[in-house]
Amino acid sequence: MSTSEEKERNVAGGEQRTEGSSWRFLVPVIAFFAGFLVFLCIGWGIFPKILYSEKQQPIDFNHQLHVDEMGDCEACHYFREDGSFSGIPKSENCIECHESAMGEHPEEAKLIDQYIEPGKEIPWLSYARQPDCVFFSHAAHVRMAGLDCMTCHGPIGESEHTRPYQYNRLTKYSRDIWGWNIAGIKTNTWDRMKMDDCAECHEENGTNQACFVCHK
Amino acid sequence: MKLDRRAFIELTVGASLGAGAGITFSPLPWKLTDDVAIWTQNWPWTPVPSEGQVSHADTICNLCPGHCGITVRKVEGRVTKIEGRQGYPVNDGGICPLGAAGLQLLYGPWRVPGPVRRVGKRGERNWERISWDKAIAEVVTKLSDLRSKGKPDTVACITATDQGTVPQLFSRFMEAYGSPNYIRTASAEDTNELAMKLLQGKDASVGYDLEKANFILSFGSGLIEGWGSPVRTIQAHSKWRSGNGKKAATVVQIEPRLSNTAAKADMWYPVNPGTETALALGLAHVIIKDSLYDSTFVNNSTSGFAEWRKMVMSEYSPGDVSATTGLSAAKITNLARAFAKAGRPLAVWGRGKGTTPGSLYECMAVLALNALVGNINKSGGVWTTLRSTDLGWPEVPQDRIASSGNGKPRLDGAGTQNYPLVKYRPDELPKIINDNPEAIQALLVHEADPYFTTMDTNRVAEAFEKIPFIVSFSTYFDETAQHADLILPNDHYLERWEDIPSPVGFHKEVLGVSRPVVDRQFDTKHAGDTVMAIAKKLGGTVANAFPWDDYEAVLKEAMGADWDTLAESGYVAKAGSTPSGKFEFYAKPYEPIELEGDSYTQPLTLIPMELMRLASGAIGNPPFCTKTLEETELKGNDLFVEVNPKTAGDYGLADEKYAMLETYRGKAKVLIHLSEGIMPGLVGIPKGLGHTGYDDYLAGKGVNANSFMGVVEDPVSGLSATWGIRAKLTSV
Amino acid sequence: MKDAHHKGEGHQEGHGTVYKYGMVINLDKCTGCGACMVACMAENNIPFRKEDTNDRLTQNFWMRVYKISNGGSFPDNDICYLPRPCMHCEGHGHHNRTPCVTVCPAVATDYNHETGIVSQIYTRCFGCRYCMAACPYHVRVFNWWDPKWPEGMEEYLNPDVSPRMRGVVEKCSFCFHRLQRARNKAYSEDRREVHEDEYQTACTQACPAGAITFGDLTNPEHKVYELKKTPNAFRLLEVLGTNPKVYYTSSRAWVRKAADVYVGKEGSGVTHT
Repeated sequence: MSTSEEKERNVAGGEQRTEGSSWRFLVPVIAFFAGFLVFLCIGWGIFPKILYSEKQQPIDFNHQLHVDEMGDCEACHYFREDGSFSGIPKSENCIECHESAMGEHPEEAKLIDQYIEPGKEIPWLSYARQPDCVFFSHAAHVRMAGLDCMTCHGPIGESEHTRPYQYNRLTKYSRDIWGWNIAGIKTNTWDRMKMDDCAECHEENGTNQACFVCHK
Repeated sequence: MKLDRRAFIELTVGASLGAGAGITFSPLPWKLTDDVAIWTQNWPWTPVPSEGQVSHADTICNLCPGHCGITVRKVEGRVTKIEGRQGYPVNDGGICPLGAAGLQLLYGPWRVPGPVRRVGKRGERNWERISWDKAIAEVVTKLSDLRSKGKPDTVACITATDQGTVPQLFSRFMEAYGSPNYIRTASAEDTNELAMKLLQGKDASVGYDLEKANFILSFGSGLIEGWGSPVRTIQAHSKWRSGNGKKAATVVQIEPRLSNTAAKADMWYPVNPGTETALALGLAHVIIKDSLYDSTFVNNSTSGFAEWRKMVMSEYSPGDVSATTGLSAAKITNLARAFAKAGRPLAVWGRGKGTTPGSLYECMAVLALNALVGNINKSGGVWTTLRSTDLGWPEVPQDRIASSGNGKPRLDGAGTQNYPLVKYRPDELPKIINDNPEAIQALLVHEADPYFTTMDTNRVAEAFEKIPFIVSFSTYFDETAQHADLILPNDHYLERWEDIPSPVGFHKEVLGVSRPVVDRQFDTKHAGDTVMAIAKKLGGTVANAFPWDDYEAVLKEAMGADWDTLAESGYVAKAGSTPSGKFEFYAKPYEPIELEGDSYTQPLTLIPMELMRLASGAIGNPPFCTKTLEETELKGNDLFVEVNPKTAGDYGLADEKYAMLETYRGKAKVLIHLSEGIMPGLVGIPKGLGHTGYDDYLAGKGVNANSFMGVVEDPVSGLSATWGIRAKLTSV
Repeated sequence: MKDAHHKGEGHQEGHGTVYKYGMVINLDKCTGCGACMVACMAENNIPFRKEDTNDRLTQNFWMRVYKISNGGSFPDNDICYLPRPCMHCEGHGHHNRTPCVTVCPAVATDYNHETGIVSQIYTRCFGCRYCMAACPYHVRVFNWWDPKWPEGMEEYLNPDVSPRMRGVVEKCSFCFHRLQRARNKAYSEDRREVHEDEYQTACTQACPAGAITFGDLTNPEHKVYELKKTPNAFRLLEVLGTNPKVYYTSSRAWVRKAADVYVGKEGSGVTHT
């Protein structure tokens, strides 16, 4: 910051010395601010749009409706008998209720026509998918540490529509890993899912920080 | 305003600095740095295995006659691991390297993707996919043609075993079709069965109660190198090696080479190879002389002892045997006494993994040693394990052509006047075909790879060229399949139902059923269904011989009352019935099995080495197993042969240097490995390398040990008793 | 034999239970069959190539069975097989730590005081191979090639273990993912401790001879606790002070002696092939 200010002064000073025209020194200043503003806009506004590509979920899913009907998250996102976490439900879970249409919603019709009847899996795009080098135990966090789903996943259970899935063109990671704030600023615990965020919580709670706790 | 040079520079510099500052105050550089760092860690062509529900399923391994219980670990529909099945009566949780590498066989590029027909020359690996209907129709056309010409007996069929419903369906097919030439590939079981027929008068094989014995005298058996049911034997070995401070059993290995079994044994006696029979009889001599034998058993439960005793006492004194075997008379005497006094001694027969028939006299001499200490059909002893091929099926209907064909003598001479007691003589086939190219017009091969496993590979290749029509039912592009005209691929063993006979060498009867634990990966078909489909298309009595709808119906019917238990738990462990026949001592002095070759120009003796990490049978060694080979067994694609430094000195050979290995049967360049663990004058060659089939992952590594060996007929049984061949090594 | 647990213990870090996993391998029972090697390769997605045979310099092995010989002349020659996983060295005190961990410039490998397991983080490793030079047991291997499976064979890959990219070092992890799996199970049953039989490495499970025993070296209820104290127990290159967590037992004196000899044919008459 100080460097740029100094440069600014130097440029302006030089101008005054040689030209003498009182407004002329503004040229580089204006140019500076113009450049500054343009690139600030690029950096904050356009760059994220270029960096991330967007896809729509195959079905517009209403979480709130399902939570109301089913009771809680674990009704669909359950733990398997071996303690592993099932994650996003498969078609076979949906069939339990939606073998035939329960209502007249077009998204339900889409589910049945395109996936359940042909016996296909729904190609859901996972917002919270971590890369292959990460081992994450839902059992450790939910069962043992008693964390609420919301702590990491936010109030997704209250959503009535699926939001678009964005992924980083360079890393191919979901935008939810870095967080929706392009500056990486987080206000809620669920805003980011980077290694630093895991480590931060582990440190606060005195949990083991060894590499093999979260990596595989 | 005029844009002079100065203003231009001021503008540009100003804007650039502004841009720089703007960028700096935006997340762009920081975010990009992070992303690029992540990007460098991401190698998108490195596979990411999919996650999902983990499940386990039990079945039985079918890669060797050991038949272990296995549990596959699955992630959704994928098999990700093969592990030993806990509590299975044969292997209780253990697994061997080949069994664990079964995964690679399931998913490997060597799978035959569906019925294929040869295009171009044999062995060129050019195949054309055809439909199942077309494939079956082609076989039917050919077989009908031979039948209509009245030559059904020119069709031969080779399977790896004759136990179980699928081999029996092939056998039944041959009978209904009208050919006596149903053949089983060679193994030590041939000799075991023959010995049991002669000594006990039973259709049976030999089972050893290894676990309960406390003195194991092994005549060259690779007890921990794949002999019998490999995992079970290794587990027995661990039992011998445990005990509170004291070993639970003494193990003595008679073998000219320091095999793993020899290294693990308490005593290793390298005797001159081929003189094992003499040693067994020499031990008997001492036991009789010192009256250490079980006289109650000998008097009550045996016959022919007096005459046998006379022979042993007159011809096999420790002094005589010492001269033959190279083992000192004192060692022979001590060994005999230790054996007889051990309490629960057990003499074990079957060279290496038991993949070759071997000498009948040697087998009988070893069994006689067990009888002498009263060790027949009792705990810690040798058991008569009944082998039945009778599945209670209705008699095969035969039309005129079939009965005329079946009336002809077998091509291999088994069961004829010359070889009355032998059931199969597979090693003879190449010679028969080479002598009479008309002999076999069509060959069906199921779950066997005779092209690779039969002795004298070069002659086998010649014979295969002469057979006009070869059909393989192989799951893999093995050597036989590569030289076939049609491949009608069988389901992989993890994809199919099949009854599994009792493991070889096991003293208990365990009937198992393997089941599909993974979806069919390719357009394959159960060989049982295929052979029945062929029979049904042939029509007439051939079709009538198969009243079942499909293979599952065959299996359920054959398993009868056991089916429910088998379907539930996968196996039935049966209480073995004790046959009450008397043990017969056979009083004939042994004739040594002569080696092929000329002792002057070929001064060395080549012997095969069977290794636990190297599959030497019909199944190609999967890449996992090949990786585990010692660097003194294979280097790149070059095979090592093992020689004693003394031998190397005599013949100008040097460690890790090339040499030409030559026998009457084959010649190839090999590398020399100097080992103090092999008797001078011998050359050890690993058995199981030198595949040409499968694909580049398996083929081209090393040389096939069988290509150096010829067939030496056992003077009594007529089976192949080859245990080595004379050889020459010259440095190149 | 030195006592295994005298220093560096009792790190009651965090709220986790402290274990010190290790192995005792009975060389009298080991038959050198190689099942451990294959089970390890299948469990840990270890790649192979067409050209692969068994070249020690370039081949990828986490578990390797060595064949050692007493160097005697026929017929007094004797051989012994020695399975060698990662030793998960603990080191002594602050100056003599795990050899590979101390040299890693990328913090791609660390010693976990809660489990006693030495990790290897592939995405963190940049392939300098200092650790390979530092490891006295040759347990670390470098990925010289892209891991490629023949068409269709990727089907058998284990999702619990991340396949490694070209250019990184890897090694035996004591099947750490199996501990993670066992912990998941324990957590879902509302307990923190993992039972002995719930966490066993792939090689231990596969070994048909039952030669490998795996467990917590500090837990008197685990079999390894007593086994490591048997008079015939020894560790490899004990003289270096690496404090390895893999113990061996052998009734043969020459085998025990060979464990401390590093340079093959020189000196002792013991050769390592």
